[in-house]
Amino acid sequence: MKASGDSRWRGMGLAALAFALALALTAGLRFGAVGIDLAGIVAALRGDAEPAVATIVRDLRLPRVVLAALVGGSLALAGATFQALLRNPLAEPYVLGVSSGAAVGAVAAIAAGWTAAAAWSLPAAAFLGALGAILLVLRIGTRVGGGLDVRVLLLAGVVAGTFFNACILLLLAFQETDAFRAAMFWMMGSLSGAGWASVALMASAAAVSLVVLLGLARSFDLLAVGEETAVHLGARVDRVRTTAYLVASLLTAAAVVAAGGIGFVGLVVPHAVRMTWGGDHRFLLPASFLAGAAFLPLADLFARLVVAPGELPLGVVTAFVGVPFFVWLLRRRTVGEPA
Amino acid sequence: MTFGHGSDRLLARASRSAAWGGAVLALAACGGGTETPGRQVDAGAERTPAVVEVVDDAGRAVRLERPARRVVSLVPSVTETVVALGAADRLVARTRYDDAPELAGLPSVGGGLDPSIESIVALEPDLVVAWNAREGRLASPLVGAGIPVYLADIQDTTGIFTTIRRFGALLGRGDAADSLAGALRDSLAAVAAGAGEGARPAVFYWMAGDPPRTAGRSTFIGEAIDIAGGTNAFGDLRARWPAVSLEAVVARDPDVVVVPVGDGLPDAEDLAATPGWRELTAVRTGRLVEIPADLFARPGPRLGAAARALREGLEAVHPAEAR
Repeated sequence: MKASGDSRWRGMGLAALAFALALALTAGLRFGAVGIDLAGIVAALRGDAEPAVATIVRDLRLPRVVLAALVGGSLALAGATFQALLRNPLAEPYVLGVSSGAAVGAVAAIAAGWTAAAAWSLPAAAFLGALGAILLVLRIGTRVGGGLDVRVLLLAGVVAGTFFNACILLLLAFQETDAFRAAMFWMMGSLSGAGWASVALMASAAAVSLVVLLGLARSFDLLAVGEETAVHLGARVDRVRTTAYLVASLLTAAAVVAAGGIGFVGLVVPHAVRMTWGGDHRFLLPASFLAGAAFLPLADLFARLVVAPGELPLGVVTAFVGVPFFVWLLRRRTVGEPA
Repeated sequence: MTFGHGSDRLLARASRSAAWGGAVLALAACGGGTETPGRQVDAGAERTPAVVEVVDDAGRAVRLERPARRVVSLVPSVTETVVALGAADRLVARTRYDDAPELAGLPSVGGGLDPSIESIVALEPDLVVAWNAREGRLASPLVGAGIPVYLADIQDTTGIFTTIRRFGALLGRGDAADSLAGALRDSLAAVAAGAGEGARPAVFYWMAGDPPRTAGRSTFIGEAIDIAGGTNAFGDLRARWPAVSLEAVVARDPDVVVVPVGDGLPDAEDLAATPGWRELTAVRTGRLVEIPADLFARPGPRLGAAARALREGLEAVHPAEAR
């Protein structure tokens, strides 16, 4: 009886999030530095607006809001996955240094000139960077913490993130000042210049990951009880964990390639979902994806409206939302309340 | 080393690049013109649209069906060049860094590296000039929207002359470009001639900051130092804008320190009051040259005025009889 009530409550949750996503996409399409009325937007989407308006709506705003939604959903999904793997709500790609690792890969590929030779080297290098980062963090965590001591892992993530940012600055020390300014956009995150090519890359990464991770959702639930229990209950723990780390790193790398380093989406969104609806991972993962996909287009809308026609770095907006939330969460946990 | 060696070579290179058509191809769309292509673009822009094609600093071909009439320049030095070519009325926007009075009435599209792309598209430009940076992320949506984009990366004197020539073609103002390049070449030659033969003081160009930077050899500032009769104290460094430590400056003990001054920048007095820096021979003996930072901030047509200001400054602190 209770279970069916819960599932109805969560079904309504998914519906509400899908509705929020539709609203966020509409708002992102509707507003921008150039004022276009609703009729103009509709006309542009139907293809009978004047060329400049059509270009702005169809070629600039549409790919941008879609990319924002995909990046936001992916970061939230990656965050929920890391939280399941590490059994801690403070874990997320940015805090764990995985985003910075991906950024090191990307900047290295640019600095070495590989991107000029082969465009695919940028996402490939970012993926290797993300993977290297999570391996490093886990290694420090197991060596020093003797297992998965959460505080050690978070510290390892912070240290790794700082180290990778230093690597980026080191690479930039050999570059010209122009490259330095340009790389700040990588470190701070930005969706300006979003195009359908980035949308295609991000959409494929998100689709594959969503399918794989949803398939692992039940194993995540077992992991939450404890690894030993999970083994007894039939989860192939090692394989689940390896696959999930790979997929979450892939998602993070794709998001960094598309939009640079955007922090705290993976932290705030899954937690907000958990607080509102609770629930197992079969609900939490898709709900986090939808909520992240609704959140980031709104954050991006704020970033491009508040100082229009200039733009704030997107990572600044998410950090201003995310850091107070992180501190509140940390404080709550230190006081001893269960998350 | 005799005077003028470096600057002669430089000027020769500059005039060569101005005289040769080089990368510029100003093609007449309708054949049969007896005039030179550049002239036909200029005279016949209204009646016979002429296709213009140039190669930009990223090596891309930029092709216009006719000379540009609505230009958005995100690169201030190119904006200055467009104004100097007498085409200020073709500019339809400015960035938040453009402060020239003739641009004050134009709408801003934000910063040069992070403009609002949709604001640019809304202005329906037929040419956008952008920085060659950010992995093409700025250019690709504009190119996708069918707007020609010129990627600029101007570092040295050759780049300044090349840019003048290319924008003469892009704007259909080839004659204006010829005379602008000629005037710049003449004023640089006059400065070099005024410097005369003789010993060349070692000049340190101080860009305030933490760490301070200086101009390397292959920059327009490094070249202006040569033209004005000095040698760049850090002319051996390969980096364009190398960061230099106080220790390195002390070790090289330059004859003259050049201080660009402007809004919010420290001046020679500040430098002379800074521990460490005030021990430099040039600072102790007052061989500090203040020049307007504004003149040296942008590699554009005001390079002649910049070199002249530098020459006058060197003359004042390092007069000919001291050599």
